[in-house]
Amino acid sequence: MSRPFRRSEWGLLLAILVVFILTALLDDRHIYWHELKGLFSGGPNPWYERIPSGVNIIRQTAYLGIFAIGAAIVIIAGGIDLSSGSVIAFSGSICATFMVLLAPEAMKSATPVGIPVIVLAIACTLVIAFLIGTFHAWLITVVGLPPFIATLATLVGLRSLARAIVETVTAAAWGGRSAQISMFDAQFRYLATSIWIPVLLFIILAAAAWLLLSRTVVGRHLYALGGNEQATRLSGIHTDRLKWLAYCISALLSAIAGILYVGEQSGAYPQTLGQGYELNAIAAAVVGGCSLQGGIGTIPGTVLGVLFLRTVIDGIAKIIKTGADVYEGMIVGSVVVVAVALTQFREASKRGKQFFAGPMGTLTMLNLALLGVAVGALAGLNVTITVENPFVEGAPPTRMNVATWIGVKLLRIDSMQTYLTQRFKVDSLGCYVLGACVGAAVLGIVFILQRIEKRRAHVVTKD
Amino acid sequence: MISIEHITKRFPGVTALCDVDMEIAEGELHAVVGENGAGKSTLMKILSGVITDFDGRLVLRGQPVRFQDTRDAEEAGISIIHQELNLVEQLSAAANIFLGREKRNALGLLDDRAMERSARGLLAQLECQIDPQQVVRELRVGDQQLVEIAKALSLESGILIMDEPTSALTESEVARLYRVIARLRERGVTILYISHKMDEVFRLADRITVLRDGKKVKTLARSQTNSREVTHLMVGREIEAVNFSDDRRAGAVVLEVRNLSLAWTGHARGWRLRNINFQLHRGEILGIAGLMGAGRTELLECLFGSSPETPTGRILLEGREMKFTHAAEAKRAGIGLVTEDRKRLGLFAQMTVEENVTICALRDAARGGIVRRRQERLLADSMVNKLAVKTAGVDAPVISLSGGNQQKAIIGRWLLTKPKVLLLDDPTRGVDVGAKAELYRLMHQLCREGLGIILTSSELPELLTLCDRILVLCEGRLTAELARHEATEQRIMEAATMRNEEKSSAP
Repeated sequence: MSRPFRRSEWGLLLAILVVFILTALLDDRHIYWHELKGLFSGGPNPWYERIPSGVNIIRQTAYLGIFAIGAAIVIIAGGIDLSSGSVIAFSGSICATFMVLLAPEAMKSATPVGIPVIVLAIACTLVIAFLIGTFHAWLITVVGLPPFIATLATLVGLRSLARAIVETVTAAAWGGRSAQISMFDAQFRYLATSIWIPVLLFIILAAAAWLLLSRTVVGRHLYALGGNEQATRLSGIHTDRLKWLAYCISALLSAIAGILYVGEQSGAYPQTLGQGYELNAIAAAVVGGCSLQGGIGTIPGTVLGVLFLRTVIDGIAKIIKTGADVYEGMIVGSVVVVAVALTQFREASKRGKQFFAGPMGTLTMLNLALLGVAVGALAGLNVTITVENPFVEGAPPTRMNVATWIGVKLLRIDSMQTYLTQRFKVDSLGCYVLGACVGAAVLGIVFILQRIEKRRAHVVTKD
Repeated sequence: MISIEHITKRFPGVTALCDVDMEIAEGELHAVVGENGAGKSTLMKILSGVITDFDGRLVLRGQPVRFQDTRDAEEAGISIIHQELNLVEQLSAAANIFLGREKRNALGLLDDRAMERSARGLLAQLECQIDPQQVVRELRVGDQQLVEIAKALSLESGILIMDEPTSALTESEVARLYRVIARLRERGVTILYISHKMDEVFRLADRITVLRDGKKVKTLARSQTNSREVTHLMVGREIEAVNFSDDRRAGAVVLEVRNLSLAWTGHARGWRLRNINFQLHRGEILGIAGLMGAGRTELLECLFGSSPETPTGRILLEGREMKFTHAAEAKRAGIGLVTEDRKRLGLFAQMTVEENVTICALRDAARGGIVRRRQERLLADSMVNKLAVKTAGVDAPVISLSGGNQQKAIIGRWLLTKPKVLLLDDPTRGVDVGAKAELYRLMHQLCREGLGIILTSSELPELLTLCDRILVLCEGRLTAELARHEATEQRIMEAATMRNEEKSSAP
C-alpha cells in the first residue's frame, strides 16, 4: 500500500500509452502527433489551445473521474452505487431549480444572477446530495435492502422526480411549463467551461480520496468492510457508519459532477443528463482494478481506469471521425470485459484452464468471429482514409471510406461516373470483403489461442 | 483393495504429496492422520477424482484406474464426505441425495415421490429422523452430514472417504456417527477416515497411516501402537505434556453476569439463554461447555454486545454496569472476542498480517485519523513477536499463514486493544496438534499476566486441561459450575444433557 502504483496500474498506464500511439498512427490525419509537435514547437496561442484533443480528454476524464471515485469507494466498501447517473441529473436540475427560485427573473431573461445565488444554489444541492446518500445508507443498513436494489430504485426514481420538479417550478415561476432549464449565466457556466476548475477539482478530490483510502483509519476500515463485513463488525467497527460515509461520498461526488455538467451543457436537461453514466463510472473503477466483491481497489487505479476509458473513446472518435458517440457503449463494454478477462486469463492459464474448450468454446469462437465481421463491415463505411485518387491519374490524394476504396480496387472502377452509378454495389462489396477479412483474422487468432491453451493444459497435466 | 503407488502431486511452490505408497484392505477402517498441511486432504482428493493431474498410479481391485472426474470415482465405488459439506442448502435432503442422478418418470419429469421414498429408506438405515422433504439449510450440521452419508449409501459405494467428519459435531452426534460407521462396516464398506483426533482414531481404526509434510511416515496396526507414538510420528518431535500447575492466582472479579437472558422469538423454547449468573476473575480461565446449540456462542455474543437481539439482565465489568449495543462499545470497555469460524468471522483474507493484527487498534497508531506507518509497524511487530506468529514478515498475506498462526494473529489483534476480558470461541478448531499446544501455552501465559479469559470449546479434554472453572450450558440454561478439581468429562456430559432427566422426571 505504500507504493503509489501497483503492477496492474503500471500495466494500465502502458495500455493508455499504447492506445495513444495506436490512435496517433491509425488516425490518418495524425491529430495527436500534430498536437504533440505543436505543444513543443510553440506558437502564438497559449499551450492549451494548441492541444484541443488533449484538453478534451483531460476534461472528460475530470468529469467522469469525479463521480467514478465515488463509485470506486462504494465498490471497495463492498457495495455498489447504480444511482450516480440519476443523481447527476437530479442534482444538476435541483441546482438550476434553486437558481430559478432564487432569481426567477434573471434566469428567464438571461441576465447574470450574481455570485451569492450561485453559491447558495450549489450549497443547497450538496446538502441534498448528502441527504440522498443518507437515504441510500438507511435503505441498505436499516431496511436491509441489497445495495443493488436500493440504488436501482433511486436510479429510476430520481430522474423522474427531477423532471417533475423542473416542470412544476418552471410553470410556477415563469408561467410556462418547461422540461428543462437553460443556463445562461456566464459565471456559473465558467465553472465548467474553464478547463482548469473541473480539472483542479478532480485532482483535489482524487488526492483527498486517495489520502482517505490509503492513509487513514477510516480508509482501512472501508477496505476491511468490503473484504469481510462480519469480521469488521465483530472487530468493534461501526459498519453502518462506514456505509453511510461511502454512499454519501458517492452521492456528493455525483452532485458535483452534475453541477459541472449543467454548466458545460448550458442547461439542466433532467431527461438526458447523465443517462447511463453510472455504468461508465463502475466500468472505470473495475478497469482500474476494483473488485466487485469488495475490499480490493485503489484510487490511482480508478483514475487510470477513467483515463484509459476516455483515451479509448477519444481514439475511436479520432479514427472514425463522424458519429463516434454511437460506439461509446460498445467500447466501454468491451474494455471492461477485456480488462477483467485479461487478469482472469493470466490466473487461469497458469492452472491450465481452457477458455475455448467444448461446444460453448466453439460457439464462442464463432461469436467472436461474427463480432469481427460486424466490426469490420461497420468500420468499412465509417473509417475514412487518405489515398491516391483512384479515378484521376496524378490527382492529389483524396479521402474515402475503406469500403469504397476496397470496392473500387476490386471492381477496377476507374471513373467517378461509374462509381456513382454503382455506388451501393461497390460499397457493399468493400464491406463484405473487409468484414470477412476481419472475421477470418479474429477466427484465426482465437484458433491459435485455443491451440496454445490446449498444449499448455496438456503440459500442466503432465507436470 | 486399493493400492496407492508412488503418488506425487505438486502445486505451484509446494509438493503436497511426495512418492506416497499405501495399501487399503477390503472392509477395513483405515485412518489417515497428520497435521494440517501434511497432505491428507490432497491424497483423498486424488482418490475421489477431484484432483486428476498427479504422478503415480492408483490400483483398484487389481486394475490400474485413472479417474477423470468425481463421477468416474463414484462409478468405481468411491465416495467422499468432505470436511466442508458439499450440499446445496436450498434444496431438500432428498434432492441433495439424488443430485446429478435424479430419478425421472415416464415423461422425463422429476419423480420427487420416488426419490423421497428411497431417501427415507436410506436415512432410516442411518437411524435418523430426517424428513427427506426438509430443506438442507434447516438441518443441523450433524444431520447434514448424515444426508451426505445417505448420498454415499445411495451410490452403493464400497469405499467411503470421511474427511474429519467429527469436526463440527456435538458429542451426541459423534456417538451417533460411530454407530453409523459400525453399521456401514457390517455391510462391508471400506472406510478411509481422515482425522487428527487421536481418541477417535484409536477407537475406530484397524490400521493407521501417518503422513507428515507430504510423505508417508508409517502404517501401523492399531493394536501395536499407542496415541503417543502416533502423535510423535505426526509432529516429528516430542510434544511435552502440557502441565498447567496451579501457579495461576485468580484475582478480583472483573466480569459479573446477573440474570442474563436472551429471547428467542418464534421458537418453541422462547429463549436462547435464560437466567445465567456467573463471575469471572482476573487471571482466571473460565470454560464454557455445552453441546452445539446450548448457547455457548450466544452467551459470548451477549457479553460482547454483538448479539442480534438485546439481552436482558445485568453485565458488570469491574463493578460498573454495561449495556452494549455494538461490539465497538465492548471493545472500548475492554472486552475482546476471538470468534469461532475464523475464515468467515475473523480473517480479512485479502489483507496482510500487519493489517489483520492492527485492525482493532488502528486509532492507537494514528494521529488526526491519519495512520502513522511506523507506529502501525511497531504495534504489529510487538504482537507478532510476543505471540511468536510464524510468518515470512508482517507484510505477508495473512492467508499464507497456517491455521494456528492465523489464530494467533487474531488473538494479537485483540491484545492490542488492551482488554480486561478476552472471550475465545472455540479457538483451536481446525488447528493442528503442535499449534494447539502453543495456543494453550499462550492462553496460560496471558492468564498469568492478569487477563480474564472465557473459553468455549467443542473438545472437553481441552477445557479440562486449561480451565480453572467450567460452566456447563444446556439449552440456554446454566446447569453446572465445576471447579477444576471437580470437573470430569462424565460430570460435564451429565450436566450438558440434563434436559433429558428433567423431561423424564417432569409429570
